[in-house]
Amino acid sequence: MIGRIYVAYRGELFKLLAQKRTWLGFAAATIGPIVYLALELAQGPPKGPLANNIGHTGVGFALVVVKLIAVFGPAVIAALVAGDIVASEHEAGTLKTVLTRSLSRNDLLLGKLLALFTYLAMALAAFFVVSTIAGVIAWGFHPLVNISGERISALHALALDVPAVIIYALPVIAIASFGFFLSVVTGQSVPAVGGTLIYAMSLQGVAVISAIKGAHPYLLTNQLTAWHDLFQTPTGGDLIVRAVWVSAAFALPPIIAALVIFNRRDIAV
Amino acid sequence: MSVRPGPSDAHPIEAHGLAKAYRGRPAVDGVDLMVRPGEIYGFLGPNGAGKTTTMRMLLGLVRPDAGTIRLFGRDPHRDELGARAGVAGIIEEPRLYSYLSGRRNLQLLWSYDRIGSGPEVIEEALDLVELTERAGDRVSEYSQGMRQRLGIASCLVRRPRLMLLDEPANGLDPAGIRFLRGLLRDLAERGMTVFLSSHLLAEVQELCERVAIIASGRIVYEGSLEELRARAGRRYRLSVSDPRRALSLCAAVPGITDVALVGEQVELAVSGDDALLAVTRALVEARLVMHALVPEQLTLERVFFELTEHSPAPAAVAA
Repeated sequence: MIGRIYVAYRGELFKLLAQKRTWLGFAAATIGPIVYLALELAQGPPKGPLANNIGHTGVGFALVVVKLIAVFGPAVIAALVAGDIVASEHEAGTLKTVLTRSLSRNDLLLGKLLALFTYLAMALAAFFVVSTIAGVIAWGFHPLVNISGERISALHALALDVPAVIIYALPVIAIASFGFFLSVVTGQSVPAVGGTLIYAMSLQGVAVISAIKGAHPYLLTNQLTAWHDLFQTPTGGDLIVRAVWVSAAFALPPIIAALVIFNRRDIAV
Repeated sequence: MSVRPGPSDAHPIEAHGLAKAYRGRPAVDGVDLMVRPGEIYGFLGPNGAGKTTTMRMLLGLVRPDAGTIRLFGRDPHRDELGARAGVAGIIEEPRLYSYLSGRRNLQLLWSYDRIGSGPEVIEEALDLVELTERAGDRVSEYSQGMRQRLGIASCLVRRPRLMLLDEPANGLDPAGIRFLRGLLRDLAERGMTVFLSSHLLAEVQELCERVAIIASGRIVYEGSLEELRARAGRRYRLSVSDPRRALSLCAAVPGITDVALVGEQVELAVSGDDALLAVTRALVEARLVMHALVPEQLTLERVFFELTEHSPAPAAVAA
């Protein structure tokens, strides 16, 4: 089965890379945050963790942007691909073409899921690389003052950036998993993409309701800042551990539901 | 292009009691099918009769509410990959990736199959459907006929033993239809079984020896086209001195399956020679003067319409 999932995964990557919107997503992931930051800078220095390093060092610039784009940026990228990845094939009728080949429904869906996660990882990697290069060009490769106010070397900060972006990707993947579920359930791109965005915004909205303050640490959007653990002295781990299991708790139910529904569904389009 | 050898001597398609309803409305109701190896089997019926739903069930895309399916002895709903091994199909029009070229589409679909054949099978298939020259163009630039041919090529790269084609002549010009017929004959000669659905009798009678006719979700005829032609020939027109009295006499004769007054003539369908003899005897005994009893040469087309139009109204389901 693993071999067949790999075959499906490879096919999905082949399709993703052949579509313009994939490259538009990459472009948005790289250019968008920089444009957004330029607009923010025009209004004054940004606030938030590591923001006081702006103007002094380019290292950590990607993480400042991450804070500024909040949940909306990753939600848009995740929604556009996750909401579309099954629904577009359903709408185009190509699902029945693929499902009459030597792939089971589980193979195809898991292949698509892996391709989706790969796309998100690549988009985040592109975002990280471009943001860091832009930051270094603008402000140089100098030591960084972490969240606890301690100076760390530029190389150390750069090394921390990589796991920080990986940790940041966990809740993004959970949002994408919900978009994937909507894509399977609705079979239509527009409601699946729109529904994913509404879902992400709703999570953000719930996060500011003070009446459920006790639940805030366990909300998905709060896991977007779990990487702060890496930029504190001493380096923490609690936020990261919680980000892993909370993201998994949000991601797994929609993935399992999507698999169950897809296996029972009649492909009658 | 060779056809993948099959170890199984089971029937390519064997279905019993297939049923499927959408929102309580039956689309397919108790369909039985038996397709023999190496034949081009026609699956005829008007639009909405249940052909496409049946084919979807055969290919495992739609789960039947009742009944059993075996493709080369395997159930496509329990052993989806095993049953689909050596089987290819196109349901309705071929749906391919419009942003990819024809060749890229075949490469992608071939990569899903991993049947042990090399990528040369792609060029062979393109060559067979005469698309080599346009294989580098995007599918979005293809005509409907070219898409049909590419769809067939996408089946051929699986090197199937059984191919299910749903209305493959749709959208083809006369030259395209002639090409398709030649191709299917060629594939059948190489040992491939073809299950061909159509709402056009003319399309099927050129290619098939055996057919099933479906109407309102039920099989109304299953057998050879020869038998169907024979059935077409068992109708007579009777000119007689008192047609009304003859009508009632004929209706009472066992073996008369259909009788009607058409103008001043009686039109009757008989089950065999014994019934015909009984009719003439009844007319003579009633002292009616028989001017003529002429066998009517019904076309297959008319038999098809009679079989399908006498069925209850089809369910209002796109099938």
